[in-house]
Amino acid sequence: MWLLSKIKQVLMVIKPGVVTLQYPFVPRPAPANFRGIPYWDHQKCVGCGGCAGHCPARTIMIRDICQELRVMVYDASRCTYCGRCADVCPEHAITMTEHYELATNDKNDITETIELFMATCQRCGRCYDHENRNQIDRLSRIGFRYDNLEMRAVIPAGTQQIDTEMLKKTESYKRPERVGE
Amino acid sequence: MPAIDNILKQLNEKFSADIIGTETPNERRLFVDIKPDRVRDISNEMIVLGGRYMVSIGTDFSDVDGTMQLIHTFAFDNDNLLTGIRMSVPADNPAFMSITPDIPSAGWSEREYMDLLGMKFTDHPKPKRLILADDWPEGVYPLRKEVPWNLMPPGAEDVAYQLDECPEGCTVVPVGPYHPALHEPAHFAVYVDGETIKGCDYRGFMTHRGIEKLCQTQMTYNEVPFIAERICGICGSVHATAYSQAVESAAGIPVPRRAEYIRTIMLEIERIHSHLLWLGVAGHLIGFDTVFMQAWRVREHIMWLGERMTGNRKTYGMIVIGGVRRDITPELRDDILQVVNKIEKELKVIHKSIIGDTAIHKRTKGVGRITKEDAIRWSLVGPVARARGVDIDNRRDHPYAAYNDVTFDVPVFTEGDVWATLLVRVLELYESFSIIRQLLEKMPDGELLTELDAPIEPYRHGISVVEAPRGESVHYVITGKENTPERWRVRAPTYPNLQGIPLMMLNNQLADVPIIIGSIDPCFSCTDRVEVVDLQSGNCRVASKEELETLSRNYRDGR
Repeated sequence: MWLLSKIKQVLMVIKPGVVTLQYPFVPRPAPANFRGIPYWDHQKCVGCGGCAGHCPARTIMIRDICQELRVMVYDASRCTYCGRCADVCPEHAITMTEHYELATNDKNDITETIELFMATCQRCGRCYDHENRNQIDRLSRIGFRYDNLEMRAVIPAGTQQIDTEMLKKTESYKRPERVGE
Repeated sequence: MPAIDNILKQLNEKFSADIIGTETPNERRLFVDIKPDRVRDISNEMIVLGGRYMVSIGTDFSDVDGTMQLIHTFAFDNDNLLTGIRMSVPADNPAFMSITPDIPSAGWSEREYMDLLGMKFTDHPKPKRLILADDWPEGVYPLRKEVPWNLMPPGAEDVAYQLDECPEGCTVVPVGPYHPALHEPAHFAVYVDGETIKGCDYRGFMTHRGIEKLCQTQMTYNEVPFIAERICGICGSVHATAYSQAVESAAGIPVPRRAEYIRTIMLEIERIHSHLLWLGVAGHLIGFDTVFMQAWRVREHIMWLGERMTGNRKTYGMIVIGGVRRDITPELRDDILQVVNKIEKELKVIHKSIIGDTAIHKRTKGVGRITKEDAIRWSLVGPVARARGVDIDNRRDHPYAAYNDVTFDVPVFTEGDVWATLLVRVLELYESFSIIRQLLEKMPDGELLTELDAPIEPYRHGISVVEAPRGESVHYVITGKENTPERWRVRAPTYPNLQGIPLMMLNNQLADVPIIIGSIDPCFSCTDRVEVVDLQSGNCRVASKEELETLSRNYRDGR
């Protein structure tokens, strides 16, 4: 009985042989549906903030610098890669990529910042119809958002939770320099 | 509804003066509102009528009507019925009769509300701190409404938990919080006489993160499934499903049939991966690493399948309230069948080669044995209970999702030891393969998600049970205003099973502690670093990031 079991175990081990993958020396591509780091297409984004409203980990922040300029920051260091942002985006501006090797010693590598002009349409150049058919109004996202971009803290809109001390720190926000300059 | 009528009739005969009202949202749920004075008698009556104690839920309603509410829940497994007895007291003096002297598994629930809500329980046999950290200030009850969700009181240096008195002539052997054979941060003080265990005290909840408070104050209904999924690294879908079902049952949201089928498939895939993981860990704990290596080799295929189906190896993120997020396409269907067939074949090989191995028999047979009566008394659940002859399985007794469309056996053993829990888990794997095949065959077409078009009404109660790989998960939701649950109570299967651990350990050998703790299924995560060892001098150092980077780049380029 005992010997028979041991013989069976030896066969069980020998038959499959070595199955260890040679990763990271041999790359292992992710499957097609993989939920890696999300990619923002700033050409398509209309700044509705649906992604920020649905993010369970609160990794997407919005700060309205002034009436026309909305800054959106995505910080992957806290992201759980659930893919809700890509699900809810009405313009399909967000896609889940297949990149998963994200370890870095510079947080900016995995941070994405988008600045959007909000008064005029990014694609057609005409003004929004603010009276009737505005998607942003329907999402109840009118008004300013004061999320703290430096502290990576979402401050819920329409509440009394806006901390004036925190707000002061965000006032020193500087626009990132253009690439290549 | 003969079962409900019978229970109400019996309760009304004996306690008509104490019952304020009843509520039956459907034929599988019963809520009884009582006066708090005779809760102990009424709870005992529920047990006599055939109920099994599940969990208690304490809620602070001080901002609504100035009361604190306590709910004891009982499952009637033969009648497919879940019941709750609810009672309220003024919030300024929340004192209740303890039911722990008669129902020992209620001990932790009541201690939890002493910590979190400041409730007082008269006659509690062990009114010690359970959940909060030892240096948490007295008189601050984090689940109360007036305490902010992100309160961080300053730490203190000189406080420590007072363990139970050591029995006469015994020595204390501490196991944990960090221990090579215990992969989770929990502290067991084992009292030994020579090598024989004479008692045990437990101090856990070292990773209590306040998820319930967070979700009750900060999260919206549809964000909570993703937090729920991260309660457990092994049975994530279970918690997400249980939470979603509780909300759906409270709010009366219909779920498309196809979505229920996909949920069931995800749950069964999770069971396969969890049981294979447990089999490996159990082998590792008794020093039989061949089982560990082979079980985990087979398990890897199910992880890759999960990656292809949902986009992630674990934390599938499939479940939202009202349905699921991704469909199972015909290609994926063939893929699942292929993987399931392959794993079944491999499992048979492992099963045959270890079933007769005397090494396993000697380490597991007769270890951690308790009787069926004790298992029922301590409300043990899942494979731990089924190995002790308690014939409960929520998939069969309280069918949810698509389980009423499939047929399967529930393996039950009467040996009552660790060997029987091993057999239960291996045999359940074969049932899971068969369930997945049946589901894929019968899966109907249709929608995946019911869109929520109206706000969910506040203050409705929903309870749902899901059979996780380790046992029964209970989720209780009280709906709230502003798109957020008012109260969300999670009871994972380890909660009752851990309470039975001291009993399982009694009169066993000290060397069997890891496998006894392991037999209720621990989960672990570990991190490791790359070390470079010079073989000639024996020196070792940790490779820097740059070195590793150049090493891997050069290797890839073939240099």
